[in-house]
Amino acid sequence: MTSSDAVLLVEDNEGDEALTLRAFKKHDIPNPIVVAHDGAEALGMLFSAGGHFEHELPRLVLLDLNLPKIGGLEVLTSIRGDARTRCLPVVILTSSAEERDIERGYELGANSYVVKPVDFVRFSEVVRQLGSYWLSLNERDPTAKRGGQ
Amino acid sequence: MHEGAESCDARSSTPLVPTESELRGFLEAAPDALVLVDPSGLIVFVNSQTERLFGHPRAELLGAPVEVLVPLRFRGQHPAHRSAYFSDPKVRGMGAGLELWGLRKDGSEFPIEISLSPVRTERGVIVASSIRDVSARKLTEEALRQAKERAELVSRELEAFSYSVAHDLRAPLRSIDGFSLALLEDYASVLDEEGKTHLRRVRDGAQHMAQLIESLLQLARVTQSPLTRQPIDVSDLASTAMRRLQEAHPQRRIECDIQPGLADRGDARLLSILFDNLLENAWKFTAHCADARVEFGADEQGGQRCYFIRDNGAGFDMKYASKLFGVFQRLHNPKQFQGIGIGLATVQRIVSRHGGRIWAEGAVDNGAVFHFTIGEI
Repeated sequence: MTSSDAVLLVEDNEGDEALTLRAFKKHDIPNPIVVAHDGAEALGMLFSAGGHFEHELPRLVLLDLNLPKIGGLEVLTSIRGDARTRCLPVVILTSSAEERDIERGYELGANSYVVKPVDFVRFSEVVRQLGSYWLSLNERDPTAKRGGQ
Repeated sequence: MHEGAESCDARSSTPLVPTESELRGFLEAAPDALVLVDPSGLIVFVNSQTERLFGHPRAELLGAPVEVLVPLRFRGQHPAHRSAYFSDPKVRGMGAGLELWGLRKDGSEFPIEISLSPVRTERGVIVASSIRDVSARKLTEEALRQAKERAELVSRELEAFSYSVAHDLRAPLRSIDGFSLALLEDYASVLDEEGKTHLRRVRDGAQHMAQLIESLLQLARVTQSPLTRQPIDVSDLASTAMRRLQEAHPQRRIECDIQPGLADRGDARLLSILFDNLLENAWKFTAHCADARVEFGADEQGGQRCYFIRDNGAGFDMKYASKLFGVFQRLHNPKQFQGIGIGLATVQRIVSRHGGRIWAEGAVDNGAVFHFTIGEI
C-alpha cells in the first residue's frame, strides 16, 4: 500500500475547516487536503471500495474528536485495528484539553495530541509546525513508500 | 440539687430497691414495644407500647403465638427461627443486619428493629424482645438516598455541560477571531483605520471570551475532581509555579523568597493550581513596582500551620476584602491590571476542598498578604 502526499482532515466545523485550509495556504504547505466531515465519511474514504484512499493512504490524518455519527476516538480505533492503516500517522487536533480525552487519545494510539488555540495567529502557527514536522521532517514508514503492507 | 448531691456523695443512705410494681411500671413506660415469649413461642407479657404499635389490645396478645405479630409472608419460617434461637439463646442487638417487618392488626406492615435478650427463669428461658418502629428513619434514609442520587445526576450533567462548553464554544470563537483576522489581512486596502480598529476589538473580545471559558472550566474542574491527599513538598510546588511564571515573563525581574522544606499532606494537582493563581496574582500586582518582591512561607497560628504569600505590589482597600474571592469580582481597572476575576475564586475552592480557609490583608499601594490553611497536617 503506497501513501500519497495528501492530508486527511477530519473536521465537522466549517469555520475550522476553512481556517485550517487558510493556514496551510498561508504557510505554502503544498500537500493536497482531503476533508471528511464526520467519522463515518473518514472511515468510508479509508476503508470502503471506491473510497478516496482505497489505493493510496494519506500521509497524515488530522483528527477532530467531537464528530457527528462516528466520533474521533472510534475512527482512531478503526485505523489502529486494521493492518493496512495500523501505522498511519494520526494527529488529534481538537478544542478539547480535557485530560481524559488526551489519555484516551494516547491509549488508542494517537501519534500526537494538539489543542487548537482560539487565537488564529497561534492556530496558524500550530498548523505550520504540524506541516513542517509531519509532512517534511518526519520520515514516513518505508513499508508505506514501497507499497508493501 | 446541692443537698441531694451531698447526700449522694456521702453514700450513707440505703440504695432504693424498686418494688415489683415499680419494675412493671418501668417496662410499661419503656419507649420500645416489649414482648416476652416463653419457650413454646407464646406471648406472656406485652407493654402498652406494644398495643399502640401493633394495634392489638393486650388481652388478644397474651397467650397468643408470637407469630401473630409477624407478616404472613415470613410467618412460615418464624417458628424454626424461634426454636433455633431458644436452643442457643444469646443477646442480640438492635438492627443486626436484618430487614425486619412487623404486622399490625389492620394487616399493614411496618419496618422494625428487634433486640432479643434471654432471661433464664425457674420455668425455663423467657425471651424478652424489644421492638422499635423504624418507619420514620427508613423514610429519612430513602429521602437521603434519593437526594444523593439527584445530586449525583446533577453533578454528572454539570460535567457533561462543562465538557460541551469546552468543546463547542471554542469553535465559533475561533471563527470570529480567524475570519476577523482574514478580513484585516485580505481586505486591508478597502478598510479605513476605524474599520480595522473595530475588527481588532472583535478579535480582542473573542480571545477574552476564550480566556473566560478556560478559567470557568478550571473552576469547574477544581470543584468536581476528586481530592487525593498525599505527602507533598509545599515549598517545591511554590517554587515550580514561580519558575513557570518566570519562564512565561522572562523580561520581569522579581525578588522571590520561598521558605524551603515545608512538608504537608494535600492534593498535589489542586495545590499546584492554587500556587499558579496566587503567585500569578502577586506577580501581576507588582508589575508597576520598581523593586518587586514576592515571599512564600508558613507560620503557626493557634496551633495550626498557616501559609502566606506576601507581595509589595498594588495591594487593595480592605473595605473590599470580602469581594476578593467572588467569581468575576475585580478590584482593579482592567487597563491597569489584566485579569478576568476567576483566579482567587478558584484558589478559595481549592482551599475549602482541603477543609482549610483563606483570608487576605492589604493596603492600597502597600502590598497584599494571602494567608491560607489546608486542614489536617
